[in-house]
Amino acid sequence: MTLATALKTGDLTQLPSRRDEDWRWTDLRGLIRQVPPASPAFDGEVEAGPFDALADDSILFVNGRQRHAATQGAGETIALRFVSTGEGGGHAASYAIVVEPDTTLVLLESHEGKAGGYLSDVTLDIAVGEGARVERIVLVEDDAEAVNVVTAEVDLAPGATFNQTVLTSGARRQRIETRVNHPGAHAQVRLDGAYLLDGQRHADQTTIVTHGGVDGVTSQLTKGMATDQARGVFQGRIVVAPGADQTDARMGHHALILSDKAEIDAKPELLIFADDVSCAHGNTIGALDEDALFYAEQRGIPELEAKAMLTQAFVGEVIERIEHEGAREIAAAWVAARLGRIG
Amino acid sequence: MAAVKETIDTVASLEKYEHGFTTEIDQEFAPKGLSEDIVRFISAKKDEPEWMLEWRLEAYRRWLELEEPTWAKVDYPKIDYQDTYYYAAPKKKDGPKSLDEVDPELLAVYEKLGIPLKEQAVLAGVEGAPRYAVDAVFDSVSVVTTFKKELAQAGVIFCSMSEAIREHPELVRQYLGSVVPTSDNYFACLNSAVFSDGSFVYVPPGVRCPMELSTYFRINAKDSGQFERTLIIADKGAYVSYLEGCTAPMRDENQLHAAVVELVLLDDAEIKYSTVQNWYPGDPETGKGGIYNFVTKRADCRGDRSKVSWTQVETGSAITWKYPSCVLRGEGSSGEFYSIAVTNGHQQADTGTKMIHLGANTKSRIVAKGISAGKSTSTYRGLVSAHPKAKGARNFTQCDSLLIGKTCAAHTVPYIEARNGQSVFEHEATTTRLSDDQLFYCQQRGLSQEEAVALLVNGFVKDVLQQLPMEFAVEAQKLVAISLEGSVG
Repeated sequence: MTLATALKTGDLTQLPSRRDEDWRWTDLRGLIRQVPPASPAFDGEVEAGPFDALADDSILFVNGRQRHAATQGAGETIALRFVSTGEGGGHAASYAIVVEPDTTLVLLESHEGKAGGYLSDVTLDIAVGEGARVERIVLVEDDAEAVNVVTAEVDLAPGATFNQTVLTSGARRQRIETRVNHPGAHAQVRLDGAYLLDGQRHADQTTIVTHGGVDGVTSQLTKGMATDQARGVFQGRIVVAPGADQTDARMGHHALILSDKAEIDAKPELLIFADDVSCAHGNTIGALDEDALFYAEQRGIPELEAKAMLTQAFVGEVIERIEHEGAREIAAAWVAARLGRIG
Repeated sequence: MAAVKETIDTVASLEKYEHGFTTEIDQEFAPKGLSEDIVRFISAKKDEPEWMLEWRLEAYRRWLELEEPTWAKVDYPKIDYQDTYYYAAPKKKDGPKSLDEVDPELLAVYEKLGIPLKEQAVLAGVEGAPRYAVDAVFDSVSVVTTFKKELAQAGVIFCSMSEAIREHPELVRQYLGSVVPTSDNYFACLNSAVFSDGSFVYVPPGVRCPMELSTYFRINAKDSGQFERTLIIADKGAYVSYLEGCTAPMRDENQLHAAVVELVLLDDAEIKYSTVQNWYPGDPETGKGGIYNFVTKRADCRGDRSKVSWTQVETGSAITWKYPSCVLRGEGSSGEFYSIAVTNGHQQADTGTKMIHLGANTKSRIVAKGISAGKSTSTYRGLVSAHPKAKGARNFTQCDSLLIGKTCAAHTVPYIEARNGQSVFEHEATTTRLSDDQLFYCQQRGLSQEEAVALLVNGFVKDVLQQLPMEFAVEAQKLVAISLEGSVG
């Protein structure tokens, strides 16, 4: 039951709804009244992507169709772009990435939506070989009327490292889901995220990490902000299978609500079937610290600017955990620009 | 010497589920199964007015349309709802019910369970010891309620639900089903159709109930279910503390217990509700038998500044499905939930709470401790939500799980929904096992492994035990140790 199947078959009942426990806060069936026609092919010029300057090569999808593929051995920094031209319609794309053992990949993924409503579904399969190292940065900038579902299935081999940061500004409905099959065996996972939402935007960051073997580490930090009538959703699930001892998993989700009509929903789950583990999660939702705000205003900083400044510092913790320097700078600039616009 | 004796007693009681005995008592049953006729039968047995029967029948019709919930992390074979007795009661003689006329065999049961039903017996205890009034529910009926006169002098009504329907119909009609509507959920709906007895409490404005109230539930009859209904109303400025205990015989068949508890709090009222649930958990080796405990408990803080506190120690039952909740409607009202859930053998517990913040400046606190051992599963499932009008809402949640052994499981499934910009929600959860270092330290100082585990576990659950009334706390501490017996090594 996915958006992709509904787009393909035209069958609305294939859309996940509030009755599906994992989709209770991201209702697609209630929103999409009819399946739109397939998005038209687009041959025109596509503007440069946000990460082009950093990448050795790029892979480009436009309206669900692949336009450009990376050359073999092009380098270890690849831009992966999904562009929706915004002429209405629906499209789905899927792509598989295999990372050879003991290699490094920096995957700079962007979802770029031009103005206009569209339905987009992207499925990624990422297999990370033994001892390989992947950092995936996902920057999602959809149109306010768009519906976008991005699902990544990540398979890790022993000793692999997978680090991810998702940055999103939301859409009409948007879900960025990451499922990680964690073998333990000294593999390491970092799954971070940040969302900055205004207007009537909605963003759902869902993660499922399944620890299947001993000695695995997972660290998660998601921070977000919702103002106006926006809605932020965080669902994090950590599963520790029987026998996956010495698992060390931590998850944190912290969010700010800056208006009385915004909403944040969170479900941090731990499903533990092994006893020798150390798992924890923390979740906080609240307003900006009044004292800090007062302090800033007292020193002559206007209220809106002070709010943006404090929010930037709040989200900054996620940005600082990005290892790739260039990507970190772009992410920081994105946060600043986004907050400037919201303020 | 006293200490030695206590140790011997504790060790002796560690042997098995000590409340697992059955009592041969002359009982009458409704025919097996569930139909409109059975609902009419129960209502007639209780001499109920027409409106009550209509209420039940409507609930029954709604129940037929509902589906059994499957979202909880519990796994049990499909229940045949036609294979249970919905009404079982000890045969009683005619005439007014006083303690002298209660079947001596029944009294013996409660004596064996350590429940004081004789008012003198309570009074004869240690001087200054707290007294508590008891409503004893045996299968489908309340057999006796103590201290009624003394409570009546303070204006407090404490009686069985059947009596309340007869004596105080205006209160029952006003409040019954107003917190948990008949069709709230599958099990609550079933309860509404066939509920047999339970306690009714009304504390008038400004009255602080002079003693602790308690109800003791006992399932005795084979193949029967217990469906009690409790309604507590604390009027403006009233206070009451209520305790609830439950046990059942050891049997190979599963028995159903589907209760509904409704609490109503008006302005400035306070209710403290404590439960020690020790239904038969089933055979620890095979998982055979045990009680299916499907309970709906909810408090409605209608009044401003009202306060409700749920404390539960869940050690029994094969399956537990229970989420005592607080609807915080009144401005400045507050809700608390303290829980210890211990599972061992093949037990499965899916329990937690809902804190629904509707009013401004409402506060809630959740402290849940889960301990799983053997082949058991323990899940904390909770919801904290703040509606747009609940400005200044505040919640703190802490859930910790402790795992003992390789074959058990512990899950944490919290839902948090914040819908305004002026509330603060904090949630933290941890899952760990008993620390080897701490165990080693205790054993090195001469404690046996079992004692060391009991000591560490008691430290783990201390925050919750402290919330229980004194005499329950001691009992609960022992119960936690007993439930974990045989879980190490």
